[in-house]
Amino acid sequence: MFQANTQIGDYLVDEHGRKIKLHFDHGTTTLGFKFQGGTILVADSRATSGQYIGSGNVRKIIPITPSLLGTMAGGAADCTYWERVLAKQCKIYQLRNRVHISVAAASKLLANMVYQYKGYGLSMGVMIAGYDKKGPGLYYVDNDGSRMPGNLFSIGSGSIYAYGVVDSGYRWDMTDEEAHDLGRRAVYHATHRDGASGGIVRVYHIKEDGWTIISEDDCTDLHWRYQDEKMASSSQ
Amino acid sequence: MTKDEDIDEVHTGFQFDNLARNNMLVSRGIQMPTAVKTGTTIVGVVYKEGVVLGADTRATSGDLIADKNCDKIHYMQPNIYCCGAGTAADLEMTTQLMSSQLELHRLNTGRQVLVRTANRMLSQMLFRYQGHVGAALVLGGVDKYGPALYSIHPHGSSDYGPYQVMGSGSLAAMSVFETRWKPDLELEEAKLMVRDAIAAGIFNDLFSGSNVDMCVITRDGATHVRPYEVANIKGKRLGKYNYKRGSTAVLSSNVKKIEIVSETVKKTPSSTDESMDTA
Amino acid sequence: MSAEMLAMSEYGRDPRKHHFSPYADNGGTTIAIAGDDFVMVGSDTRLTNYSGILSRNQTKVFPLTEKTMIASTGCWADVLSLYKDLQAKLTLYSQEHHDEMSTPAIAQLVSTVLYWRRFFPYYVSNMVIGLDEDGSGVVYHYDPVGHMEKLRFSSAGASVAQIQPLLDNQLGALNMKDAVPPKVTKALAHQLMHDAFISAAERDVKTGDSCIIYTVTKDGVAEEQVKLRRD
Repeated sequence: MFQANTQIGDYLVDEHGRKIKLHFDHGTTTLGFKFQGGTILVADSRATSGQYIGSGNVRKIIPITPSLLGTMAGGAADCTYWERVLAKQCKIYQLRNRVHISVAAASKLLANMVYQYKGYGLSMGVMIAGYDKKGPGLYYVDNDGSRMPGNLFSIGSGSIYAYGVVDSGYRWDMTDEEAHDLGRRAVYHATHRDGASGGIVRVYHIKEDGWTIISEDDCTDLHWRYQDEKMASSSQ
Repeated sequence: MTKDEDIDEVHTGFQFDNLARNNMLVSRGIQMPTAVKTGTTIVGVVYKEGVVLGADTRATSGDLIADKNCDKIHYMQPNIYCCGAGTAADLEMTTQLMSSQLELHRLNTGRQVLVRTANRMLSQMLFRYQGHVGAALVLGGVDKYGPALYSIHPHGSSDYGPYQVMGSGSLAAMSVFETRWKPDLELEEAKLMVRDAIAAGIFNDLFSGSNVDMCVITRDGATHVRPYEVANIKGKRLGKYNYKRGSTAVLSSNVKKIEIVSETVKKTPSSTDESMDTA
Repeated sequence: MSAEMLAMSEYGRDPRKHHFSPYADNGGTTIAIAGDDFVMVGSDTRLTNYSGILSRNQTKVFPLTEKTMIASTGCWADVLSLYKDLQAKLTLYSQEHHDEMSTPAIAQLVSTVLYWRRFFPYYVSNMVIGLDEDGSGVVYHYDPVGHMEKLRFSSAGASVAQIQPLLDNQLGALNMKDAVPPKVTKALAHQLMHDAFISAAERDVKTGDSCIIYTVTKDGVAEEQVKLRRD
């Protein structure tokens, strides 16, 4: 009765032919970049379903192992579920092989899993970031099965704004503090211009010894902090 | 025809200038704004000496209640009233337009307007617009031929009979008339039946609600009672939700100096004089 | 067979597309508020179909264990089948482990069960409420395919757009200058839940008739019913 390639959209009509709304959480800004001091991941915390803000404090940076993180953009349930499955597989890999999984291998496990469901309507645009014997690692994986390594990615409806800020301030030899500030500013500017992004700007840093949470700031507080800085520098 | 005349040409009626554009936008997935509709219960019944019309007072926009106490019984003529269900704006404009047309008709003929005249004019207008004017009406009144009651559908068809119902609550309301109606009702019997029919709509149809409005039309004129009955008591909230002064963040402020050129002091009527009630 | 007869016959007509439409929206609103040692959950009791009322006395909150409940609104058929599925899984668990599943474990289970139907979802808005292992109240909120969030308070269903802003403001102290979130007592939770339902019934056609408020503590579940408008 059900064809494998049937989309849920085909069913979303009631017996009178009217469309039934079945929104799930969408709309995001996520950012990740490598630099001299490791990998930075930054994300906002807003979840929207249609016009409605479903939640204001979602954790869009998901721990996979103590040295691996994943980000979340697209279908929230898709990202959390498959990254949970990935976390399980990474743990099994470690138990079998007595070594931590590499970022390349972890991201490929995820890419292969979602590739099996290509065309079914999964929606995810994620970064897998971590640190292994090759140094800092950062991969982009999406629901089409795409997977690519890179120094800098931004994903989500607010990514265009974040890219603009990071591209104008990025250097490989930044200090840790400079990198944290650049990432934070980039996502703050995205929350400012993109209606589907907002809430809390969370900054994570991955180094050789694992990931740490650097900061979690309300984007409204950041707005006034940056505003004050602007006023102070312009009055000098 | 010169170019200037072309421009000055007066257009009357509906404009369809944006129709093609809007259809294109809808096909590209843009949501058009939804009109407020009165998913209504309206009824009318003929009794011994006249007609009783009834309506609920809920107006909805989707699942949201847009107006908790709107007036759905419209004046046509001193001896004719009209209940409306459907698109709120269409009803408002249709009934206003029709009451002025009927008034002109009265002045032209020098006679009291017949209910059948109002029925025919409304049906013909709605038929002309092929259902695009979303008005469903229950028209009632008393003229030299006695009481008369019609229902008119949006496409222009009309029914005549001793009891009529319209709107989303019409099935609930009709069940009351079908079980209880009999010829030559007394006034009190008719009023009770109309109340019960509207109440059936209010309680059993989601898109009808709040109060019962009623209008009794006899040979001697009409009485429009609003509300006739408050069918639902509003729930009592336990808490008070007043905000502390300063709860709204002030982001910036600036004071503009206004130069006063002249000043006049007027004597206002004292409180003992009749003044507008602003409560 | 003549052309006319062919046109009249069932198979001679133009091809028609039959649409499979397994979903209905049966309305319903739920609210949950957690406190330090209790959690309160309520639902209205109206069940609707289009413009009609199917029931005026149907709760949308169901017990899962002694200290965990689930509040579900949306497609009533899916609500019932999801609840049955969860009940079966919890029974198997308790018989295997000789203990009831903890609230956080149930919360994760619900997420997974919802995601198993990712390509033909349960059309249901869920909240799992209960006491965690420390005895403090928790609320978990879900989207239809299992995205989960742990919260202190939340609402779901027909009137979320009316109720959630009230809770965000009164319990989360959002959108106010210098405001601090209040301590959530049973009295405050009860008052807000009561008033939220009263207000929702004023403006939403799918919320009304009455609301049932359940209070979960370590001593058990207390229940209270409050009347709402019936129009």
